[in-house]
Order: sequence, then C-alpha cells, then structure tokens
Amino acid sequence: MPENRLVSTLRSLGPLVGLLLVLVLFGSLEPEKFLAFQNIRTVLTQTVIVGLGAIGMTFVVVSGGIDLSVGSSIALSTIVVARVLRDGGSPWLAAVCGVLSGACVGILNGALITRLKIAPFIVTLGTLQIVRGIAKYVAGEQKIDAPASWLADLMTKSPSPAWLIVSPGVWALVVLGVFFGAVLKKSVIGTYAFAIGSNESTAVLCGLPVSSIKIRLYALSGLLTGLAGLMQFSRLTVGDPTAATGLELNIIAAVVIGGASLSGGVGSITSSLVGALVMAFLANGCNLVGVPNYAQEILVGGIIVIVVAMDRSRRMT
Amino acid sequence: MTMCRFATATVAAFILILTGCGKDASEGRRVIAVIPKGTTHEFWKSIHAGALQAAAESGVEIAWKGPPKEDDRDEQIKVVEDSVTRRVSAIVLAPLDETALAASVAEAAKDGVPTVVIDSDLKGASHSSFVATDNEKGGMMGAERLGSILGGKGRVLLLRYQVGSASTEKRERGFLAGIAKYEGIRVVSDNQYAGATAEMAYAKAEDLLQKFPDIDGIFCPNESATFGMLRALTSVGRNGKVKFVGFDSSTKLAEGLRNGDIHGLVLQNPFRMGYLGVKTAIDVLDKKPVPARIDTGVMIATQENMNTPVITELLSPKLPPTVR
Repeated sequence: MPENRLVSTLRSLGPLVGLLLVLVLFGSLEPEKFLAFQNIRTVLTQTVIVGLGAIGMTFVVVSGGIDLSVGSSIALSTIVVARVLRDGGSPWLAAVCGVLSGACVGILNGALITRLKIAPFIVTLGTLQIVRGIAKYVAGEQKIDAPASWLADLMTKSPSPAWLIVSPGVWALVVLGVFFGAVLKKSVIGTYAFAIGSNESTAVLCGLPVSSIKIRLYALSGLLTGLAGLMQFSRLTVGDPTAATGLELNIIAAVVIGGASLSGGVGSITSSLVGALVMAFLANGCNLVGVPNYAQEILVGGIIVIVVAMDRSRRMT
Repeated sequence: MTMCRFATATVAAFILILTGCGKDASEGRRVIAVIPKGTTHEFWKSIHAGALQAAAESGVEIAWKGPPKEDDRDEQIKVVEDSVTRRVSAIVLAPLDETALAASVAEAAKDGVPTVVIDSDLKGASHSSFVATDNEKGGMMGAERLGSILGGKGRVLLLRYQVGSASTEKRERGFLAGIAKYEGIRVVSDNQYAGATAEMAYAKAEDLLQKFPDIDGIFCPNESATFGMLRALTSVGRNGKVKFVGFDSSTKLAEGLRNGDIHGLVLQNPFRMGYLGVKTAIDVLDKKPVPARIDTGVMIATQENMNTPVITELLSPKLPPTVR
C-alpha cells in the first residue's frame, strides 16, 4: 500500500516536473520577458480554452473513451453565441445557448456510442465532420459578426474591476478545475467513470448502468466544451465556423501529458490542467524566443512522445 | 535507466536547439514583428522578401512569425500578444479577420507597440496605417481589359470567390462597375462562387461552362478561381477562344498567359506590400507622419507585356533567401 501511494504521488508529480522544466528552460533563455507578470497573465488566458476542454476530456478518457469532435463543437458554440446576439438575444441567453449546444453534441456522441455500439473513436470522427458541417450551415458559411457585449470581456487580459488580476475566464477555469477535480475523485459518477475505464465488462457484471453513465459523461464533457466555445467567442468577438480546427488534438495532448491513459482507468483533472499549461507555456516560450513554426511543431510532438514514454517506464518499474 | 539517459539527452538537445534560436545579436536594434496570415503560400513569401529588403536598408531586424496553424484566428491573436510581450518595436500585421484581431491590436497600442496593417483591413482606429492593394481598382482594371479585347460587346460571366472574403468582394464590385460602362456587354452570370480551393473552383467552372457554352468573356477574382476556370476551359477545349481575365499569378497562370489561354492577369505587388509595411512602421517609430492608407498598386499582365522586367518580376516574384 505505501508503495502504491508512492507510485501514484510520483505519477501526479510527473506533469508538474514537466511544467517546471519548461518554465526553467524558457525562464533562463528569456528571463525578464517570459517570467514577467504580464506574460504569465497572457499565457493563463491562452490556456483557458484548452483547459476547459481538457477537464471534460479527462472524464471521457478516464472512462476509456475519446472525443474527437470537441474542436468542431467549440466552433458550433461560437456560432450559436454570435447568432443569438446578432438576432437580438441578451448576452446571458447567448451564453446559455452556446454552452447547451456543446452539451447537445455530447449527448449525441454518447447516444451514438452506446446505442449503435460503435467505438468512440469512430463515432466522434464522424461527429467531428457532422458538427463542423452544422456550424457552417448555421453560420451560412461565413463568420458572424455579433454586436459588442460584456461576453467579450470574459477573456480580456486586463479585467475590470482590476482586483480580479486575471481574466474572468481564468477564474472560471480554476473554480471548475477544483470542482470537477473533486467530482472525478470523490463523487459517484467519478467512481463509475474509473470503474468503466478500468474494466468495462466487470462494471457491467457489477450491475452498473454503463450506457446511461457514458451518455452522462459525454454530456458533461460537451457542457465544458460548450463553455470553452463561449470563451473562444469571447476571444474572437465573432462566431467563426472554421475556429478551433484541430484543437481536439491539443486538448487530448494536454490530457495525455497530464498522465491520463488512453486505455482508460487513469487520469486526474489537476494533472490534465497542468498538461494544458505545459502546452501553452511551450507555445508561448517558442514565440518569445523566436523559434520558427516548423521547429515548434517538432518540439511539441517530441515532448508528447517523451512524456508518455517516461510515464510508461515509471509505471513499469 | 536507459530511458532516463534518453530523456536527459533529448532535453539537452532541445535546449541546444532553443539557445541556437535566441537572438542576442539583436541587442539595441529595433525588431519589427511581421505577422502574415499563413507562411506557406507564395504570396506571403513575397511579402517576407519585401520586409527583409526594407529591414536590410533601414538596419532593423524582422521577426517573421505566422500563426502556427494556417488561417487560424486565435493562433494569430496569440502571435500578436506574444510579440507585444517580446517587446518588439512595432508590428506589421496582415489580419486574418477584420474584427477578431482588433482587440489585440488595440491592446498592443496601449502597451506602446504601434501596428501597421497590410493586405486586409482592420476595424477600429488603433493601427497607424493600412498598406494594401486597391482591390476595387484592380477589379475595374480587369473589366477594362476584358471590355477592350471583346471590342465592347458580348456576353460575360463573373465567377466569384467566396462569401465573406472582403478583398475579393471588392474586386468583384470593381469588375461589375467597370464592365457596366460597356453598353454592348451583358453579364449573364454573377452569382456563382468558386469556393476555397482550386478543386472546388474547377468543378464549379465546369458546371458554368456547361450552362453557358457560348460565353464570350470571363473574369475570376483570385488565383484559385482563375486556375480552376483555366482547367475547365482547357478540358472542354474552349481555352484561347473565350476571352479570359484573371487575378493574381502562379507558375501555371503565367504559362496560360504565355500560351494565349489567359488574356490578362491583374497583379498585386506583395513584395512592395511587405517593403512598405516595414518602412511605414519605421516611420511611425521615428514619429514621422504617415498616410492612413497606402496603395501598393495593381498592374495588368498580358501576353504582350509579360516579358518586360516590371511584369516578369510580379509574375514570378522574388522569394526570400532561405529563412535564417
């Protein structure tokens, strides 16, 4: 038992060590710029969208699933928010509709996976295209300009009132991270997610309503994706049907860097968020140092492989 | 154990790569960030070449950085934000979106980093100048060319590019205004869109030629639409017979012009756009007054003038020396 605890502590520290490495590396290359308060604040804001997506994705991944449709779902959510605003809806209504559009995509994913008994990878590969298509249709194949509203301030770098210090989006990420971290670890649905991800047939044998739990997990993930879409809208101030193309891969990478296992049963919200921070600081650091795009892509890809390989070797010893 | 050694070695290698990228030589020199919409298209490479030329003349340094994902608005916002953090002296930006980039340019201005906008316009008043092609004039020149080679009469069609693309919409508007001056010319179709890729444009052009087999003249407002139409004309054997004017250039389009399949190409000057963008940014930093709008000019290439030095230069533009 104590040995087990040691292993799990090590595992949860792994991503943190990675984050520290990135911070030290770029901090020593560009100390006064990279570690400046202004920059930290900027990077935290840049982390919000991937971070919110990663919270939802962790639930899905822990239960042994995957969701490739989140990038498209974020785009759909920006479109819904922009259309409601443009057609005269209040910012609150727009925000709620945007978040709910994400939840609908999640429920659709969950329903298709459980009813048709198709692997999540395939189903969400399909909904990735379907939802992107719906986003383009709802948008009339162009971006939607929305009238200015307070929604645009959710992701501002200099928030008012000034005592907030960081943007409301960052606070939302922190609060939701803590809350859903506890949900995954302590609540019934979290325990069920781990049970299904560790061994689905055992979970069925134990009498768990696996299908309905899965639908709820995808719906929850979709809700958070919808929220990420709202933040994306806030950053762009327009609804963009082509937004967040390929962002699902960044979100999955954050979760994986955070130590979650794609075969299910392992993962934690805080670690996934640390993974998201690693990705954001890495991109930011590369921009500050002036690394050309191609080198940056090779670097990020390499780090994903190394982190997972190190995690694997740690688990085997 | 081996794993550990491997990891240490890789981390060490990354550090080496990264330190190699650090630019300590730039101490004390002005650094101007030039941020295109993407980095792989020839058009942006010409802009890069122009920016480098201006930088070499003025003794400043260029930080060339596009959004890591082509055409991703959010990634471009990040590049603008990070350029400000990097304390560049000024930014030259080709915004992917006239609205989405406005807030980050305003924040840059508040932090004392001026922005010169190139290629596509930006909303708001936070940028110092707008350096770009006069697209409406370009469309009008295309109409004049088509009108004159048709002898002022005939049936023409316009294959539009894409809904919501401001620059090509201006070209289309300019073309329609220009062609309206010829009383003998009738526009039989102006509501079809080519779409984003050359492949889509090809399919759309085939359909249009099917519908209007006896068309006399055609205008397309950008490179991919022009190329798609050229392919379609060739496949039905109407190339050279239909009077055809396009916009922008590529190796294939220059070839079409040489063969007489294309009767005119309206050309922008991206090299000049990059060059003047950086020069204007330097003027702003030197507190010299700069005009709010700078036209980088359009020219029309034809089979007759395509071998003059000016046009050759625009048809096959200078590319930057290997990037660092």
